[in-house]
Amino acid sequence: MVPKIQFEDKAHIFLFLSGLSVIFITIGIIETLLGESVEFFQEVAASRGWFDFDIEFKGLMSQYGMASGVFLLCYASMILVRKNPNLRTKIPQTMVLLPPKAVFALYLVAFILFIYFDNILLGISMFCLIFTWKFIADVSFDDDFVQQKFGLQKTLFALGIASFSLAITTNYSGALGEFFFQSQWTPTGSCPDRRSLCENMSFGINSLLFTTIQVAFGALLIAVPIGVGCAIFLSEYAQPRLVAVVKPTLEILAGIPSVVYGFFAFIYIGPIVVEFGEYAFTQGWIDEPPNILNPINGAIVVGIMILPLIASMSEDALRAVPNELREGSLALGATKIETTVFVMIQAALSGIIASIILALSRAVGETMAVTLAVGTVAVFTTNMFLPAQTMTAYIAQKVSGDLSYGDIGYLTIFAVGLYLFFITLSLNLLGNKILTNFREEY
Amino acid sequence: MKEIDKLPVRNRKGREFIEKVGSGGLALTSIIGLVFLLILVYQIAKPTIIDGEEGEIVAATEFLPISDYILKWDNPSVDEDGNLISEPIIIQLAWDDENGSHEHEIEITVIPQRNVKENIQLNENGVDTNEVTVGKKTKFFIYSTLSTPVSVHQISGPTPAANETGYPQVNTFVIQSDVSTVFSNGISIEESMAIISWCLLMVMILVYIFPNEKIIQPIASISKNHQIIRWISLVPFLFFILYEITVIRFFIVLNCFIGLRMLANLSEGIFRLSNQMKPLNDRILLKHSIVNRDGLMLWAKLFFLVSTFFIPLNVHIPFLTERYQDIFQPYSSGIRSAFYGTFWVMGIAMVMAIPVSIGAAIYLEEYAKPTRLTKLIQALITNLAGVPSIVFGLFGLAIFVREGGFGLGFGPSIFAAGLTMGVMAMPIIVLAAQEALRSVPRSIRESAYGIGCTRWQVTKDHVLPSAMPGMMTGTILAMSRIVGEAAPLLVVGAFGAVLFDPEPFAALTDGNINFTVIPIQIYAWTAEPGHEWHAMAAAASIALIAVMISMNSIAIILREYYRRRLNS
Repeated sequence: MVPKIQFEDKAHIFLFLSGLSVIFITIGIIETLLGESVEFFQEVAASRGWFDFDIEFKGLMSQYGMASGVFLLCYASMILVRKNPNLRTKIPQTMVLLPPKAVFALYLVAFILFIYFDNILLGISMFCLIFTWKFIADVSFDDDFVQQKFGLQKTLFALGIASFSLAITTNYSGALGEFFFQSQWTPTGSCPDRRSLCENMSFGINSLLFTTIQVAFGALLIAVPIGVGCAIFLSEYAQPRLVAVVKPTLEILAGIPSVVYGFFAFIYIGPIVVEFGEYAFTQGWIDEPPNILNPINGAIVVGIMILPLIASMSEDALRAVPNELREGSLALGATKIETTVFVMIQAALSGIIASIILALSRAVGETMAVTLAVGTVAVFTTNMFLPAQTMTAYIAQKVSGDLSYGDIGYLTIFAVGLYLFFITLSLNLLGNKILTNFREEY
Repeated sequence: MKEIDKLPVRNRKGREFIEKVGSGGLALTSIIGLVFLLILVYQIAKPTIIDGEEGEIVAATEFLPISDYILKWDNPSVDEDGNLISEPIIIQLAWDDENGSHEHEIEITVIPQRNVKENIQLNENGVDTNEVTVGKKTKFFIYSTLSTPVSVHQISGPTPAANETGYPQVNTFVIQSDVSTVFSNGISIEESMAIISWCLLMVMILVYIFPNEKIIQPIASISKNHQIIRWISLVPFLFFILYEITVIRFFIVLNCFIGLRMLANLSEGIFRLSNQMKPLNDRILLKHSIVNRDGLMLWAKLFFLVSTFFIPLNVHIPFLTERYQDIFQPYSSGIRSAFYGTFWVMGIAMVMAIPVSIGAAIYLEEYAKPTRLTKLIQALITNLAGVPSIVFGLFGLAIFVREGGFGLGFGPSIFAAGLTMGVMAMPIIVLAAQEALRSVPRSIRESAYGIGCTRWQVTKDHVLPSAMPGMMTGTILAMSRIVGEAAPLLVVGAFGAVLFDPEPFAALTDGNINFTVIPIQIYAWTAEPGHEWHAMAAAASIALIAVMISMNSIAIILREYYRRRLNS
């Protein structure tokens, strides 16, 4: 009798092929996006050249110049403190020693500035300033600390050079310069033939990117406190019976389709935001009357959307912390809230941060709710009560009109999609890396 | 290191205060999350109630787009108190063809008897009759053999859920449903068979739950012929071959099949018991003697529950399954084409994604050695699950929809949309299936290897059955996420207004490839100005959420069932 092993020998080949299909899909995604984007850049470059800029040192007085100054100051002071052990003792301790709450408040201020500044690098530089201050303060107490945080120094240098070069160069043009540095997005300019490229068109993605960042970080502002608070409450305080009610509710909230959230934002959140905007307009805080479609509306609705994601992932992270830590802290005489804040959150921090980063990636990629809530006007403005357009909303708007393959409008959606893909991919990689590498092993 | 003596002495009251404030604040945050959900549900449900001042409909119109299309005129001919409305209904049929424009008025008189109907025939010469008499609560049909669209306009008479002036009745739900019994249109062979099959299923479920000796006695007398009953249970499937499938027939056939299968298994168990000279009054023994009792009970309960909405009650929701989108009349619109479109897109996505992704999960968990390639595949899957859905849409647009380049050229069709959605579902299903496979205890594999099983046998016979609940749950949850996704289909090219049933394989057979799905329909209706359209968007949202919640509950039921079976 012949044993039936023929399929068993081949089973793993079939299974391997199905595993391999994932690689093909990924290659397919990258390759289609890259192929069409390269065609887009080639077409733009054919009429404008690849990359072009003028050097003007007046730009040092601009915001970029200020940012580069801050970066290089941070870098220089870090180098000084690191290289000169004598200097450390000379630093007056009252000057550098900030109470932790003040540092936290400063972080908050920097974060808000980061969202509302026109200039992203200036916002980041504020962060780095506080970082460096804290670094110097730490260094003056602890000598071992000097060896750490070498990555920050390199990053500071790179950012300083980047903002310096941005400051002294002006008038970026050509395909790459226009796409990555300019902020006027008019892919359908007033041209004789609107399908083909002409001089009136402008492809500066920064206006789309800026609104995307506004919406995503605004959503985090709403979702992180509520989501993390909800997770802590569910894992530390709530009765099991309450958890049995709240957890499925959060799962239902996570399951509701995004277009329904968009509908909700359109008919309900928009009018409420407009009321606030009108109050702000009568007070003179904003210079134009608000519109029912605006980034705040989008930020609120995306915040509600990503709330269950943050809550459930953070709760998982908190539940994974072994009970011994909690009991040890309670046995030392800490109250429950002290245990939660100083032990549990510290132990689960990597999981919580990873959940926030993955939620950020979800918020950046969210389409339908944002399309219905934020609007379809691509402008670069800090007034968050006016309609704007995110990257995903641009793609959605472009494809719902008439789209003919091969014209410039068709190619732009792939360029925007590629940029979006890389942003979310790097956020996902970061989140998963934090989740796996920085997990505390107990 | 801080010295203990220098630590500040804490105030006990202050500590308690902080404790209370902290826990209260945390409770508040989670309450805020729930409040968001309540507001969301309320705001979606609110527009579906017709608002008296703003809402307005005139006489319902329908649009006959293609020839030999059956228009089901669903007009209530009784008022709120149940009295018959004596005012005749006049509808106007109008169309343009090469002979000029035609316009015909048909007067419909409603009489108290039921099941009296006259159908209207439309052809090039006009209408065959100008007066129609129909019984109350009876459907009649307008059959058109024209090649041009016919518009139907109601001139006088009542409109659905509207008063005499044509305004909709205030505070009514926009999705109208009509609950009747299957016998309301008279008794025929089909209705009686439906009731018989439903009753058979109900009796068999009761017998399975409470195996009473008296009830079992007649079954025991036929228990020798259990093999014949097993063959008879296949007979209902002849129905599918001989007749066109409708919902009721589908449930008749499957109810009969499951009921007869249950009967066969029960009599087989009794036969086996009586061969062993065991008494029939031992319930536990009887329950254990039935082959596959749990599985049959699961399917029987599921089908019994679902068929209750179709067989004894005949719940009829025209919004979902009958009306197409109406471009001019919000309140007479429906989501029929979107409903079927969603169904087909889901079906194609499932057929494409499930085998591939479960195969990939089995390979990665059971077969793969930790090589660089395996790690790469694993990392790609993890990151693909987080890629925005619209990027998958762009992928589908370039690969499946577009012709030329790398494109396969299916056009903006259901087939391309299903493939795109399948690609999107793959990483989610793979991750869920891997999680399920990982949770199977190592000891099960090792004991199977220990008695000499090959790797494929271990996987097929020992690992997969244990991992099944997790896999099924993950698959259904992935599918319920796919149902709600609109962005990739927007990119693939779902059409806003589709006035016919979508054809799933039109891309391969050169049919009409336009299609739409429920989320796209909601998007289109939300973008329309006007309160009425938003009411319809809200109604469609409720339908979509209902579909998703029912899918999730099926996932939960299956998970519980398999978990119980594994534990027992």
